[in-house]
Amino acid sequence: MTGPATTDYQQRLVAALRLRRVPAERIGEVVAEVDSHVAETGEDPAEVFGTPRAYAASLTHEHRRDSRAGTALELVSGALAGWFLAVGAVDLFEGGSHLGLPWWGSVLVGLLLGVPGGRRVAARARQVRDPRDGRALTPTARTAVLTVVGVLLLFAALVAGLAVALT
Amino acid sequence: MDGDIPTEWLRAVLPLAVLAAVAEHETYGYAVAQRLQAGGLGTVKGGTLYPVLNRLEADGLLTSSWREGVGGPGRKFFAVTPAGREHLARRSAAWHTFTEQAHGLLPDPRSTR
Repeated sequence: MTGPATTDYQQRLVAALRLRRVPAERIGEVVAEVDSHVAETGEDPAEVFGTPRAYAASLTHEHRRDSRAGTALELVSGALAGWFLAVGAVDLFEGGSHLGLPWWGSVLVGLLLGVPGGRRVAARARQVRDPRDGRALTPTARTAVLTVVGVLLLFAALVAGLAVALT
Repeated sequence: MDGDIPTEWLRAVLPLAVLAAVAEHETYGYAVAQRLQAGGLGTVKGGTLYPVLNRLEADGLLTSSWREGVGGPGRKFFAVTPAGREHLARRSAAWHTFTEQAHGLLPDPRSTR
C-alpha cells in the first residue's frame, strides 16, 4: 500500500464488501485494483473511487444474496441450538432432563443444530488475500483462532465459577 | 468530459469504448483511462472504470491477469476474448447505425433554418 490513508481505505473497503457478502477472493481483487491504481496515479482513493461504502455499494454484480430458505434455516437452527445448549447447561447444574435427553444429549443436539450457522459464519470469516503476493489483508487465521479460543476459555471459566457457586 | 455532453451518453458508450480500448492491445486500468481521455471522453475515474472492466470480464468478454510492476505493486492486465471481439464488432455496427439514424432526426447546428 502507498500510505496510512490508503491502508485505512483498504481496511474499510474490505469491511464494506464483507457486509455485502462478496466472496473473499473477489474482495482481494477489488482491493488490489484500487491499490494498484492509486499507486500508479498518486491519487487519493476516496477521490477517485468514492467512500469505501459507496464504492462497495456500486459493485452490485459482485454482491451475494442468501436465499430466503437458507436464511430461515440459519435462524431457526441457531435458535434451536441456543435453546438445546441452554437446557443442557441447566440440566447439568440442576439435574433432570428435557425431552428425555440427558444434559450431554441436549448439548450434543445443540452443537449439531449450530452447524449450518457455524458454516456460514466460517465462510464469511474467510481470510482476504492480496492476489499479487498472497499477503493477508485481514487478520490471519491463527489470530482469529486464538481470539475464539480465548473467548471460549473465558466463557468456560465463567460457567465453572457459576457451577462452584451453585453447589 | 466536455461540459456539453450528458453523463447518460458517457454511461451508454463507456462499456463499448472500454472494450475497444482493450481490444487495441492488452492493457491495464490506468492506461485504459488515459486512452479514453485521449479519445475525447474526458476523465473517467477509477470508481467508474473498474466496475465496467469487471463486468466485461464477468460477461466473458475480457480476461485478466496480475503482472509484477517495476518498482511498484503489480498491474492487472486485461485482454479481449474472441467473444469480446465479436461483441465489439456487432455492437459497434449497431452503435454507428443508431447514431446515423439519430443524426438524421436532429437539426443541423450549421443550418441557418
